[in-house]
Amino acid sequence: VPPSLISKYVPSTKGSRQTWTCLDGSKEIAWSAVNDDYCDCQDGSDEPGSSACPNNKFYCRNEGHIGATIQSSHVNDGLCEQECCDGSDELPGMCPNTCQEVGAEHKKKMEAERKLRKTGSKIRSSYIAYAHKEKKRLETLIADLVKEIETREKEVERLRDIAERAESLSAAELEHKKQSPLYQSLLVHNTALKSLQTEHKKHLEREKALGDILTSLRTGYNPNYQDMAVLEAVRGWEALAGLPHINDVRKGDDGEADATTEKQKTEDDVEDEGLWNAAKIEKELDQLIKTDHVTLLLEHDQLVGPASAQSLLLDISAYLPDALLPSYYSFRDSVLSALSVFGIGHGGTSDTSAESNRARVALSDAEHSLKLTQDEQRTANEDLMDLFDPDGFGPEGEWKKLDGTCLSKDTGEYTYEVCLFDEARQIPKSGGSGFSLGKFSSWNKAARPGEPEYYTRQHYTQGAKCWNGPHRSVELVLTCGTENTLLTVAEMEKCEYQITGTTPALCRPLEDEHTKDEL
Amino acid sequence: FKPSDFKTCSQSGFCRRGRALAERSQELSSWHSPYSIKPPELSPHQPGFTTNVHSSVYPNVKFVLDVIIHEEGIVRVRMDEENGLRKRYNEATQWALIGEPLLSDDVLWTVDSKKAKAVYGPKKDMELVVDFNPLKITLFRGGVEQVVLNGRGLMHMEHFRTKEDSKLAEHIEGEGQSVLQVNSAAWFEGDTQDAFWDETFSTWTDTKPKGPESLSLDITFPNHAHVYGIPQHATNLSLPSTTGPTARYTDPFRLYNADVFEYLADSPTSLYGSIPLMHAHSATSTVAVFNAIASETWIDIAHVEKGGVETHWISESGILDVFLLPGPTPADVFTQYAHLTGTAPLPAHWSLGYHQCRWNYVSSDDVRGVQDRFDEDDFPVDVFWLDIEYAEDHKYFMWNKKTFPDPVEMTKDVEAVERKMVIIVDPHLKRSNDYPVYKRASELEVLVKPKNGEGEYEGWCWPGSSSWIDFFHPGSWDFWISLFKTDTIDGQWSWTESTNNVGIWNDMNEPSVFNGPEITMPKDNIHYGGWEHRDVHNINGMLFANHTFQAAEARTDPPRRPFVLTRAFYAGSQRFGAMWTGDNLGTWEHMAVGIKMVLANGVGGMPFAGSDIGGFFGNPEPEMLVRWYVVGAFSPFFRAHAHIDTKRREPYLLEEPYKSLVRDILRLRYSMLPVWYTAFRETSESGVPILRPQYVMFPKDDAGFGIDDQFYVGSSGLLVKPVTEKGVKEVSVYIAEDQVYYDYFTNQPHRPKNRQITLPANLDQIPLLIRGGSIIPTRERPRRSSPLMKHDPFTLRVALDTSGNARGEVYLDDGETYGYDKGNVVWRGFGAESTKRKGKGIGAVRISSVDLAVRTQVGAYDPKNEFARSVGDVRVEKLVVLGLGKKPLSVVLEGGSELEWEFASKDGAGVLVIKDPAVRVVDDWAVVVKLE
Repeated sequence: VPPSLISKYVPSTKGSRQTWTCLDGSKEIAWSAVNDDYCDCQDGSDEPGSSACPNNKFYCRNEGHIGATIQSSHVNDGLCEQECCDGSDELPGMCPNTCQEVGAEHKKKMEAERKLRKTGSKIRSSYIAYAHKEKKRLETLIADLVKEIETREKEVERLRDIAERAESLSAAELEHKKQSPLYQSLLVHNTALKSLQTEHKKHLEREKALGDILTSLRTGYNPNYQDMAVLEAVRGWEALAGLPHINDVRKGDDGEADATTEKQKTEDDVEDEGLWNAAKIEKELDQLIKTDHVTLLLEHDQLVGPASAQSLLLDISAYLPDALLPSYYSFRDSVLSALSVFGIGHGGTSDTSAESNRARVALSDAEHSLKLTQDEQRTANEDLMDLFDPDGFGPEGEWKKLDGTCLSKDTGEYTYEVCLFDEARQIPKSGGSGFSLGKFSSWNKAARPGEPEYYTRQHYTQGAKCWNGPHRSVELVLTCGTENTLLTVAEMEKCEYQITGTTPALCRPLEDEHTKDEL
Repeated sequence: FKPSDFKTCSQSGFCRRGRALAERSQELSSWHSPYSIKPPELSPHQPGFTTNVHSSVYPNVKFVLDVIIHEEGIVRVRMDEENGLRKRYNEATQWALIGEPLLSDDVLWTVDSKKAKAVYGPKKDMELVVDFNPLKITLFRGGVEQVVLNGRGLMHMEHFRTKEDSKLAEHIEGEGQSVLQVNSAAWFEGDTQDAFWDETFSTWTDTKPKGPESLSLDITFPNHAHVYGIPQHATNLSLPSTTGPTARYTDPFRLYNADVFEYLADSPTSLYGSIPLMHAHSATSTVAVFNAIASETWIDIAHVEKGGVETHWISESGILDVFLLPGPTPADVFTQYAHLTGTAPLPAHWSLGYHQCRWNYVSSDDVRGVQDRFDEDDFPVDVFWLDIEYAEDHKYFMWNKKTFPDPVEMTKDVEAVERKMVIIVDPHLKRSNDYPVYKRASELEVLVKPKNGEGEYEGWCWPGSSSWIDFFHPGSWDFWISLFKTDTIDGQWSWTESTNNVGIWNDMNEPSVFNGPEITMPKDNIHYGGWEHRDVHNINGMLFANHTFQAAEARTDPPRRPFVLTRAFYAGSQRFGAMWTGDNLGTWEHMAVGIKMVLANGVGGMPFAGSDIGGFFGNPEPEMLVRWYVVGAFSPFFRAHAHIDTKRREPYLLEEPYKSLVRDILRLRYSMLPVWYTAFRETSESGVPILRPQYVMFPKDDAGFGIDDQFYVGSSGLLVKPVTEKGVKEVSVYIAEDQVYYDYFTNQPHRPKNRQITLPANLDQIPLLIRGGSIIPTRERPRRSSPLMKHDPFTLRVALDTSGNARGEVYLDDGETYGYDKGNVVWRGFGAESTKRKGKGIGAVRISSVDLAVRTQVGAYDPKNEFARSVGDVRVEKLVVLGLGKKPLSVVLEGGSELEWEFASKDGAGVLVIKDPAVRVVDDWAVVVKLE
């Protein structure tokens, strides 16, 4: 009987009989019926020292060590329980009393654990310090960014003004030139090219998706479906994609595989003369499509047309009523000077339409910079918010240091990589890009934010979909350790991985416990 | 289920021919069997005779018939073609039977010009009549026809012929008009050579080098309305018709061991095992036919209007070798069959505990983790299983060291709590020279050969390209035994990374071949002795389990009882361990049919059976899982298993209240292990199945013959009707007799009304009754595993019948050795007898325990044997007496003093609980309850 209940196990005297009442009050029995290896009470309370009542607890005192409670089903079953080092769970003489050794061993273990936590918690406090530093850095950064945004906003305003005015001047002439059949044809070609590119990309994506599905089928298909159609599909894909047969890969027979891939490549390299190959399409098509046709138009004009001495902007005075001329001249000068200041105008000799275009580019560059700065500020703000959020990087910010830290584990066939707070991946050692096992989605859902348990598990979900299965996911189970490292990887259910590891971020200082104990 | 993977009768040449023969017989009014006997050729040799059989359609072909009467009146009828072009397969009985059956010494034959007649049996009421022309064999009991062979004239043994000869008999098409060559066999055999010389199914062509050799046989039970047996099919226990106006299915029942993916819950298609044994039953007699054939066989069944059952067996090859088992009771038939093919031996006691399986526990730490979770939640479990993923590249025996770095330590961690591991070893061997098992088998040339008879057959299975050991090859036997040794002998590879306690799971032994015809081996593959795979297909899986059983047994000296689970089976497989119903689905229909299939397997002589709890495929809802655990807890083999794509569903993962419900069910099974073990002892002697359907228990009660959703457990008197439907609140249990039955849990007595007892059956309730007149021994203390119960005391539930009497028994031994052969047993009989006072009801009840073993002459039995001494401390801690009308005056231990007792009476039901009579289970004792 545990010390807390010992006071309940005393007989009461009724006349000449000593009796005892079951702890749930359901029944009064003879005192001799307590611990007589026969279950009298519904709640089993009359047999704290035997296995007679199911669902009961048995207490071993374990003097020299720490008392322990075991299930009554383990009492008198012929096995010496580890928990009962005093051997009291079995008949006397059956189990040796090992409490001295067990106690010593336990102390040693506790000491080792204490040491580990001590070292770990030191590292952890450096994480916390980092978080505080990070907080300061972010705060300064945000202040700086606010100022920078102000400046950039003004700049954008100014450039927008210039660009708009320049544009309005050149628009009419430009419109005229755009009527050129050559330009129109160019536009049609461009549209066609764009459409082709879009379609091409769609096809590439589709092919990749199909390839992914087939690769997933190849590595993940379940032979128990005993479906030869699936096997044929896998073999067909392997032949088409020049992959070795999946079973051979597992055998480690990669030589042949490499040869096949090599052969494939050489075949690809043979090109039709003058035609672009895939790499060139990939690299240069974009550029071609993005060509500024207006600039091209104007350049073309310069090259083939009767050289007009003045560019549109400078010659525009010819079209203007005289009354407006003075104000026009003054405006033109100011624009031109502004353009030369930015280094995009070439004074009187450059083409004004191109210059207006360049003004537009300068504006959009400035707008882009502004947006980047604003984004930076927003991120910094979010990071600052996350920093000491119990639901984010922990109440003390102890996880911030590990944000984006990638840990990996080589299991032979695959390398598993977890980038904390980001993504988990499975990368086959035989080559290939592997699969996403999921993005970070939550901490331990079985505990509440702030509780130590909450931070012992991370969930990464919505990874690549398994063939005939769910989306891959990972449960990362962490314990206190002096290093950030992954220990084991197991696929407990189809496409659901359990990865264990250690991190100092979980090594809470020893003082925490002490305070608790005192309370 | 993919119908396109498997043949229907119409896609199988010989089945088509067989059914066409049956159709012609219907159409031709003058139909008669062409087979006959000429009396002068008959040479009697006690207790039978041998004679030629002539076929009027093939007068030049010689057949020989042999009829023998064996002990117990078993009739064996054999027929073969003599001096044919080739030899029919005749070795099925060599594997199925335990030995040559003994001859009867009590038969009187008389022969006249029309028939030969044998009269025999202790009452001389058995008659075997062989009519000469046409040939017909009839077994009579008391002048009533029991079984008739060839009564419908469908018997046909296709003789061996050459392709050229058979061509001559075909049509010759003339110009514009067809000229028919006279084909004198056409009226009988048909006028086309349907699939004689090859047959294509899907992309596979069976080359049939031996040509047609099928065997058709009609077997009629003119006076029996029900037929049972021929497992394995997902159907009713009482087999429905496949032909005629009452047909439930369009195809015949098929026996052709097959790995059927997601099989249907109601179908005559073949499954993993085949036992060609059929019982026919009526209120007056039971009779059975064992048709010892190993090739693919189709069986048409027709329940005819007159009341009997006509069956038609169509087999692809093999001799005719039929045993008629005369009965006359179901129990007699079981024993007669057991004398031919053997009984299920007493299994290791632990194998009756709960088995936890999954495809797959993925690592040794996973196994340890599962064990820890069972212990944390105090669920009893005896066995943890490993499916194929433990093996590197599916090379069985070879551990994947990345996930199982310490297999022996893991196994020992499981064994530390007296639990065991069962590990899978499949028959396909990865064709890889770094696999010592394949390499050695290849060197020994004991692998199955392809159709040309040279080299190694290669097929596709789990490991990819695979080959199969030919267990018909004697050269494979010692080799297989050597593999399982846990120490190295002569430098040969053996399974040193294992322990002697490990049980073995033989799966995929139909054999399953993923890229083969019907997911199995081509029929023209060649086995030892030159036999084609078609000849031996249904035996193939049994041989694998047989040799695994022997190998597991040979690990220790003296041997210990091995545990082997097989998926494929044949007649005789019961000698080599347990079977399960294969890859079922997690549906209510599959749960329900699983019970019927286990019952049918019991009829087939293979009682150690169960279905996967929860269904192999799918994710069962908690309600279904709880109900399925009840089905499992009342199956001889009690295992939960799940497909790799399913969610984990170990019972500790359940939410409350389901979790506690399953814990209670597991504990109920463990508390009843004495009942189960005692039942296994009985079946190991008698062959009477453990799960006993209504017709076995009450063979004269017509109304019970079709019942297959409730059953009795051995002869214990426990009657259970597991719930196999969703949302059930109560069930009606059929009761064949006017007897009191007690609710096992509430002790409430029930008397049947209109042969029914209605019981509440909410999810936390199990419809489980104790038949009045039974004494149920249980051990009520929850333990982690069954060996840990060895010293636990017994509780006896004494359920008095309407006259105040009851009986029961308990059998105990060490549970793992063959010490029982030497008399190391405790076998107690319990009795309760009432003395009645005239008109006043029961005066006193005497409850006693006597030694049953002493009455048998097994070994050198000594009541103080070594085992009995080792359990000398085991008490009977509690007696619960049900059915006492009123409160006793006293309860006394005979020769001792008054005992402590309590009597509670509710609604006229009195329950007497006698506390700790302080008697030992090994002793004789008696307790007397005095009422007046």
